[in-house]
Amino acid sequence: MAETLRRVLNLGSAAGPGKNTAEAEPPLLLLGGPGSGKTALLFAAALEAAGEGRGPVLFLTRRPLQSLPRRTGPALEPLRLQKIRFQYPPSTRELLRLLCSAHEARGPAPSLLLLDGLEEYLVEDPGSQEAAYLAALLLDTAVHFSHRVGPGRGCGLIVALQTQEEGGASGNALQLALLQRYFPAQCWLQPDAAGPGQCCLRASLEPGGLGPREEWWVTFQPDGEMTITRWPTQLVDTSLHKGSSSGGQP
Amino acid sequence: MAAPTGPLTLPAVVEELLSEMAAAVRDGAPLLPRLKFVFGSSAVQALDLVDRQSVTLISSPSGRRVYQVLGSSGRTYTCLASCHYCSCPAFAFSVLRKGDSLLCKHLLAVYLSQVTRTCQQLSVSDKQLTDILSAEKTQEA
Repeated sequence: MAETLRRVLNLGSAAGPGKNTAEAEPPLLLLGGPGSGKTALLFAAALEAAGEGRGPVLFLTRRPLQSLPRRTGPALEPLRLQKIRFQYPPSTRELLRLLCSAHEARGPAPSLLLLDGLEEYLVEDPGSQEAAYLAALLLDTAVHFSHRVGPGRGCGLIVALQTQEEGGASGNALQLALLQRYFPAQCWLQPDAAGPGQCCLRASLEPGGLGPREEWWVTFQPDGEMTITRWPTQLVDTSLHKGSSSGGQP
Repeated sequence: MAAPTGPLTLPAVVEELLSEMAAAVRDGAPLLPRLKFVFGSSAVQALDLVDRQSVTLISSPSGRRVYQVLGSSGRTYTCLASCHYCSCPAFAFSVLRKGDSLLCKHLLAVYLSQVTRTCQQLSVSDKQLTDILSAEKTQEA
C-alpha cells in the first residue's frame, strides 16, 4: 500500500501526482517512535483514499482520535470524512473478532484498511504466534475486501506500529522481525533536526522490492499543521547524507 | 485453485518451486526428490497428508476462504488462504521463532493439494466461517 502513502507524501511537493493505480500492493507497516506523526499520516492516507471515488475507508484504532489532525494534506471535506468509518476495538480479543467476522459485514467493501497503534494490541498477548495471527488476519481481511471490491482495484492495508527507542527489549526486535515478514513494504518516521516549536521528521519509504527507497521531510508546526517536502533523490545517494541512515544504500 | 498471491510472504524460491511442482504434476514427473531437497522430512509428511485427503478448503457465501488440515495426530489446524499462516506449534516454533524452516508440513500440504487439485471442499455459512477463524486462536497447545 505504498502508493497511497506516496501520494500523501507527494502532495506538498512539485513532484506531481503519483500514479493512480490501485493494483494489489504489498501491505505497508508505518513505523515510528511516540509522537512521530503516524496517526496524522494514517489519517491523511484515509482522506486521500476517500477522495478517490472508490469504496469507504475502514480506520481501526483503540480509541477515538483526540482531534482531527489539522490540514494534513488532502482537503478535509465533509464528503471525504463521511467515507471514513472509524471503529474502536477496545481489546485484542475484540480486534480479532472484528477481523474474523469482517466478511459478515454488508455494504460496499472498504478500499483501504487502516490500523493505528498495533503495539497496543500486541502488549496484551505478546506470544509470537498471536502476533503472527493478528498480522496474518489483517492481511486476510484486506485480501477478502479486495476480492469483494473486484479485480484490478483491491483493498490496501496500512498498519502503524510504535517502535521503541534504541536498545529496546529483544522481544520487540523479534516481534518486529516477525511483522516485517507479513508487511514487506515499510515506512519509517525518524526524528530529524527541528526548528523552534517545530517537530521535524524524515519519512523513508521502502516499497518492498517494488522500487527504490524514497524520502521526505515531514514537519509539524506548533499548531499541528503538517507540511511535507520531498527529500531530493540525488541527496539520498551521496555522502551529503551522513551517518544517520545505516544500511540499505546501493 | 490459484496459489496464494499478493503479499510476499513466501520467499521467491519457494514460489518458483511450487509452480515447478504444478508443471511436474501435469507431466507426471516425480515430485518427491525435489520437495525433499528443499523441505526435508516435512515433504514426505506433507505428501502423506495430501494422499490421505486431509486438506479441506472451507468457503462461505461471502467468498472468504480458509484451509483446514487434519494433522496426523488427529488435530485440525487452520491455514489462512491469503497468506502464510498455520496454527500448528511447528509453525510457531520453527518458522516464526527460529526461522529455520520455510513452511510447516500443513502449509506445504495446502500448497501441494492446490497443485495436485486434491483439496476437499466444504461450504459453510458466513457465521460458521467467523467461528472457524475465531476458534483458531485458542488452538495453541
